Amino acid sequence: MTPAIEVRDLRRIFNVRQGLFAPPRQVRAVDGVSFAVPPGSVLGVVGESGCGKSTLARMILGLLPPTSGEVLVDGQRLSSMDRKARARLIQPVFQDPFSSLNPRRRVQDIVAMPLVAQGNIDRATVARRVAEALERVGLSAEQGGRFPSQLSGGQRQRVAIARALVLRPRIVICDEPTSALDVSVQAQILNLLDELRRDLGLTYLFISHNLAVVEHVASEVAVMYLGRIVERQESEALFHNPRHPYTQALLASVLTPEPGLGVPDVGLGDIMPDPANVPPGCRFHPRCPRVFAPCATQEPRPTTSAAGLVECHLEG
Amino acid sequence: MTALLEVQDLRVTFGGTAAVRGASLAVAKGETHCLVGESGCGKSVTSLAIMGLLARGGRREASALRFAGLEIGGLNEREMSRLRGDRMAMIFQEPMTSLNPAYTVGSQMTEVLRRHRGATRAQAVDRAAELLGRVGITAPGLRLGQFPHQLSGGLRQRVMIAMALMCDPELLIADEPTTALDVTVQAQILRLLAGLQRDLGLGILLITHDLGVVARIADRVSVMYAGEVVESAPTAELFGNPRHPYTRGLLACVPVPGKVKRGDPLGSIPGVVPRIPPGFRGCAFRDRCEYAHAECSGPIPRQQAGPGHEVLCTLALAA
Ligand SMILES: Nc1ncnc2c1ncn2[C@@H]1O[C@H](COP(=O)(O)OP(=O)(O)O)[C@@H](O)[C@H]1O
Ligand SMILES: Nc1ncnc2c1ncn2[C@@H]1O[C@H](COP(=O)(O)OP(=O)(O)O)[C@@H](O)[C@H]1O
Ligand SMILES: [Mg+2]
Ligand SMILES: [Mg+2]
Repeated sequence: MTPAIEVRDLRRIFNVRQGLFAPPRQVRAVDGVSFAVPPGSVLGVVGESGCGKSTLARMILGLLPPTSGEVLVDGQRLSSMDRKARARLIQPVFQDPFSSLNPRRRVQDIVAMPLVAQGNIDRATVARRVAEALERVGLSAEQGGRFPSQLSGGQRQRVAIARALVLRPRIVICDEPTSALDVSVQAQILNLLDELRRDLGLTYLFISHNLAVVEHVASEVAVMYLGRIVERQESEALFHNPRHPYTQALLASVLTPEPGLGVPDVGLGDIMPDPANVPPGCRFHPRCPRVFAPCATQEPRPTTSAAGLVECHLEG
Repeated sequence: MTALLEVQDLRVTFGGTAAVRGASLAVAKGETHCLVGESGCGKSVTSLAIMGLLARGGRREASALRFAGLEIGGLNEREMSRLRGDRMAMIFQEPMTSLNPAYTVGSQMTEVLRRHRGATRAQAVDRAAELLGRVGITAPGLRLGQFPHQLSGGLRQRVMIAMALMCDPELLIADEPTTALDVTVQAQILRLLAGLQRDLGLGILLITHDLGVVARIADRVSVMYAGEVVESAPTAELFGNPRHPYTRGLLACVPVPGKVKRGDPLGSIPGVVPRIPPGFRGCAFRDRCEYAHAECSGPIPRQQAGPGHEVLCTLALAA
């Protein structure tokens, strides 16, 4: 089966100038990422802030050109697709329902935008499709006539989802879609996304820094660290048997609502990763609680097996 | 146990909005009391009202507002500012709320001690370096000379905690101190707070919307809804035997690995926190509550559900 999304050795380097005369620094935001997402499944992407999740998402959406590597969506090269065709296939839902919606437009016009941008669709069809999309996400026609400022955070995220669905795409890239919401509202949105995926046969790339959320929605999980995927496993396996020390530390730091367990010492120290200064050898070694001889000098190679992928010398 | 902080029947209004509607809570010395609830429930306003830091237009009333036995409700701004940063300190979600971008970490930290305690510059620098070390910052000397924007989010949050501790406060109020941080850094900061509390006997009022954080560090929990404390209990009791439908609803919303099967829907609470006009009667949760009945529009009894466990609800909910 053709993967819904496939990326091959994808990289993105930002050249950042700090001052007029300072030499530019190279920020290796995404540094050689490959994976394939089968249609109908959900790939969760987790990792600390700054590890390159949003940069990866923007490249897959065609919003940011890669420095090198390739993105294929439904078997077609993204770079050879025109914007309208791309929009019919793949759509985003971003974190912030406050800034991603134009405050001066009514909800129904915001949702209609992707359709109108296609150019050749008559007004009656637009109106019908917008009404359908609003209904799908649980918004009333009356709410369609309001402005974003007149809606709650959860309702605004529903508007963003309706806008993503109005072209009936097959793939939705969700970048922290519930991170700005209360747990009560987050639960509503997660339930909605899952229902939509099942009813419409959607494929999701689901980015979140909340591992419990990812565990709930993803069929497979990729763990990113400083621009690379250091572990990828089927969701259940990853949560029961994390293999990379970084994955283990991330999981240990999830505070489940179980009293009496205290706050664990995740053992990562206080060195923060910096994509402008990627350590030699294994990029995780300065923080790794299980660092040993080869880690500081040799880059680990990804070990791939039926169980998934791990990039760690312990797997040698 | 005498309370370090005692708040009785706190009310705050902003014009036509009742933000806090009769909240009571107490923090004992060495205790962590967590205040939890959805955004807009009045958690921040409660903490700002305690510290005397309400925004203009906010009106505060309380039948008691006592800190270490002292009634502070009637203190003027000069007397309050003498307490703040000294015997009671506050940290915020966004460290830049308390850090000034124009001054180095060192000058901001030392200023607190020199203002409140009349310390010399050298004494204050020593104390600042010691505290930076205490909050797990390596190379404190270097950090003292840096500006806030030169630090990562986690480091800034540590600096803010260190700054709050400069004068050895007895009470620390922390408003969502780890909400903006990565889970890995959050764990470090919470361990740090727990350790400081153990060593220094601090009383902590910690505001969060994260029930995972609450479960792991609170001794006591108060659940706030629309300006009221609707349930309050020791932590194990609250999680083991939640009584208020709102508390139960919140707990059901949290995705917990292994608890809800993938593909099964999470519990959720329909609707949003309502805006409450002054003079509102009855239970503010009733429009979102699956158990709502006629009595919920009348006066709501505060029921005892167990030792130290209070619930504001008309139902006698089974365990
Ligand atoms: N347009 C840009 N210019 C320069 N640096 C950028 C740009 N976008 C992202 N970065 C940097 O790339 C790294 C990865 O960022 P991002 O993909 O946003 O991470 P995440 O979404 O995982 O938090 C960060 O160090 C970020 O500062
Ligand atoms: N400065 C202010 N002026 C007017 N209303 C305010 C102000 N600050 C807070 N409020 C209102 O008080 C209520 C409680 O807010 P807040 O304490 O910030 O909630 P929480 O911290 O629980 O998210 C909200 O309805 C909010 O709109
Ligand atoms: Mg991001
Ligand atoms: Mg708040």
